[in-house]
Amino acid sequence: MSLATSFFLVFFGVAAVWFGIVVFRTHSMVRSAIALLFSQTAIGAMFLVMQAEFLGVLQIMMMATEMSVMAIFMVMFMMDPGGMGKMDMTHQKRLSLWAGGIGLLAALVVILGAGWQGPVPDVPGADAQARMLGRELLGRSMFIFQSAALMILTAMIAATMVAIAPQEREKP
Amino acid sequence: MIWLALTLLAPLGAGLAVIALRRAPIALSLAGAGLGLLGALGLFAGAAGGTEITATLPFLPDLPIRLLAGPLTATLALVVATVAAMVLLYAAGYMAHDPERARFFGTMLMFVAAMELLVLSGDWITLLAAWEMIGFASYLLIGFWHGRDGVPGAATRAFLYTRTADLGLYIAAFLLIGVAGTSEISATLSTTGTPALIAGLLLLFAAMGKSAQVPMQDWLMRAMAGPTPVSALLHSATLVAAGAILLIRAAPMLPGGALVAVGLVGGVTAVVAGLMALAARDLKRLLAASTASQYGLMLVAVGAGVPVAALLHLIAHAAIKSALFLGAGVFQHDRESTDLDALAGAGRARPGIFAGFALVALALAGLPPMAAFFSKDAILAAALDSPFASWLLPLALLGSVLTGAYMARALKVLWTGKSDRPVDAVPLMAAGMGVLVALAAVLGFGFKPLEAMLGAHLPEPAWIIPAMGLAVGLVGLALGWAVAPDRLLGPLLGPASRGFEIAGGMQAQVARPALALADACERFEQWLLAAVLAVGRINLSLGVGARRTDRDMIDRAIFGLVDRAIALGARARRLQSGFIHREMALTFAGIALVIGVLLAAPIYL
Amino acid sequence: MISELLIALSVGAALFGVGLYGALSQTNLVMIIMGVELVLAAALVNMVAFWRYLHPDEPAAQMYVLIVMAVMAVEMAVGFGIAIARFRSRGSVEMEEARDLKG
Repeated sequence: MSLATSFFLVFFGVAAVWFGIVVFRTHSMVRSAIALLFSQTAIGAMFLVMQAEFLGVLQIMMMATEMSVMAIFMVMFMMDPGGMGKMDMTHQKRLSLWAGGIGLLAALVVILGAGWQGPVPDVPGADAQARMLGRELLGRSMFIFQSAALMILTAMIAATMVAIAPQEREKP
Repeated sequence: MIWLALTLLAPLGAGLAVIALRRAPIALSLAGAGLGLLGALGLFAGAAGGTEITATLPFLPDLPIRLLAGPLTATLALVVATVAAMVLLYAAGYMAHDPERARFFGTMLMFVAAMELLVLSGDWITLLAAWEMIGFASYLLIGFWHGRDGVPGAATRAFLYTRTADLGLYIAAFLLIGVAGTSEISATLSTTGTPALIAGLLLLFAAMGKSAQVPMQDWLMRAMAGPTPVSALLHSATLVAAGAILLIRAAPMLPGGALVAVGLVGGVTAVVAGLMALAARDLKRLLAASTASQYGLMLVAVGAGVPVAALLHLIAHAAIKSALFLGAGVFQHDRESTDLDALAGAGRARPGIFAGFALVALALAGLPPMAAFFSKDAILAAALDSPFASWLLPLALLGSVLTGAYMARALKVLWTGKSDRPVDAVPLMAAGMGVLVALAAVLGFGFKPLEAMLGAHLPEPAWIIPAMGLAVGLVGLALGWAVAPDRLLGPLLGPASRGFEIAGGMQAQVARPALALADACERFEQWLLAAVLAVGRINLSLGVGARRTDRDMIDRAIFGLVDRAIALGARARRLQSGFIHREMALTFAGIALVIGVLLAAPIYL
Repeated sequence: MISELLIALSVGAALFGVGLYGALSQTNLVMIIMGVELVLAAALVNMVAFWRYLHPDEPAAQMYVLIVMAVMAVEMAVGFGIAIARFRSRGSVEMEEARDLKG
């Protein structure tokens, strides 16, 4: 089992990373959005491989919707949505490369340097997980849940307010 | 005491009043001179009665001002006051039209006050102070008409020569004060030995300067550039008498060596000055040389050891010479000059003045019964009786011959010649001169009582003395009247007319070195001033340097700091680019830093 | 099992690097938001891996994942709202032109 999970982990991980890179290398905006969608889907697949079924499904569903919305916004706001212009739309490229590289390296150092201890305990089944998650959600973490809900509500109102065009007062 | 105060303070008060008020100078000065004469008469009367008036005024510690009115000093005070009063009366007429007569009378009165102080002084400090004052007054009076050519130079030269000689008096006075321990003159006269000899020679040096003895006779010739009343008062009877007065008063102290020197100097002067008088071309210069010659005779008497004879001759000469000068002044008033060529025949136009002039001229030559006859006989007797008779007597006789010669010459010039110009009446001048002529005539009879008062009886001279004196006087008069001076003098005419100057005279030996020294001092002074200014400039440059340092270094440092802080701020502003991506990069860097610090916590905590 | 943990964490690290690069280098606001999405996804991967291989019996870890997902969604919504407002006022969402807060 572990060999298969390892293989799938590697496969979906590489896919996620590769699609992430494609997001920033392609010139077409829609392809960039689709690439991100695929990246997020690969991540959702990884969740499934790691036996977090609920989270995986949730990830795939959410990201699909978000990425489509994002595609629409990209077409709205981009200068060159079709990517025909071949203009380099980046700035501080070297700095960004360095930042990314340093982040990656630091993380890897920490990962490989930390002494992870086995053995790994058993994973409960999917329904058991759902039941425990539900109990957690509405029990111990109720406050967090409600706060998150409040936060989402506030954000919705805020985003709507920001996006609404200023009304032109018509004076008769 | 009141006579003392009157004698001294009357001329002084009148002089100050004239200088301050500048009004009614003649009236004030005659009043002052008159009161001074009154005071002197009182002093003389008191001294004749045997009382000696003294006064002590506090001054420096142990050196008070002492005034002494004894027989000798009261006599001299009376002489000074009388001549001063008569000359001021004469000057009232002579200076009547001069626009600056207030200054003249004021200075003359100050001189009279200073001369009385000198004559009446009882201690060396007062005598020194009065000596200086009369020298200064002489400078002011000789240079009275300082706008004319040659006058300021003559005044300066007179002052310079007499000042050089005054050094002797200073040193002698302090030597005597030091040896005797007190400044009172009569106390110091008991000094003996080497200090007395040195002091005597120094006093002789001072007297040579003031009384125009050889080799310092030139200044008196040049002093004739002043007004005639000045010549009559100062340079015949009083100022030049100061030298002789000094020696007469110091005579008790002088040891044998000093007496030899005194007699020699006096004798040489009597002859040399007589020759110069004979060769003179100007009446006043003739009279000036005559004055020097007569004082030479007085020094001969002191050198022979008989100061009383010198005193008597001084009194006679004072009256005679001042009368002669006043007469010369009248002729000068007529002819506007005192040159003998210009004065030819001036006597004919004024018979009265000329008669008085001739009377005193004959008196000077030594004819009886006038005053100088007795005094000259006394001098000749003293010279004969002295230990150095071998050369004192011939010198004195030769001096007397020359006296007669130049007086006769003057009379001849004044009488022979044309006088066709009308002359105006001069009542004041005639009055002043007349009194002095009368005194010159009759003073001789007062000499015996005077000797009694002074307590120094002169022995009756042998008949040879008056005979010699009369003979030489008559011989001199005849020679002077009959023979022209250039034939009389022969080869000596040239040197005589130039004043017998040796090696350039006083001009080259005293005046020029003194002025060169003054120049050198002035240059040194300028150098010192430049040095002080240089020090000041160094300090200034130090101050400027300090300010520059402050401004350049300190201020630059401070402002540089300010500028660098501003530049640093400007650079820091670049962080606030406003770009989102830059902000995010900085955020990432900040997070990485914080994580790093936290991870490294085990190292430093 | 631990090796799988390492793989998952490495994938998370790589995603973080890529997402950081994108967030810093892109000029357009929307692309920047996409970069941030990738970073948050990397965090999610890490969290799930930790839950699966270290504490599988703890539902609070999954709770954490839910909250992060909510944050992702909210952030995107607000970000796009701002993008709309900006586009409306300036005509573009290029971050190169947004210098208003320059000090």
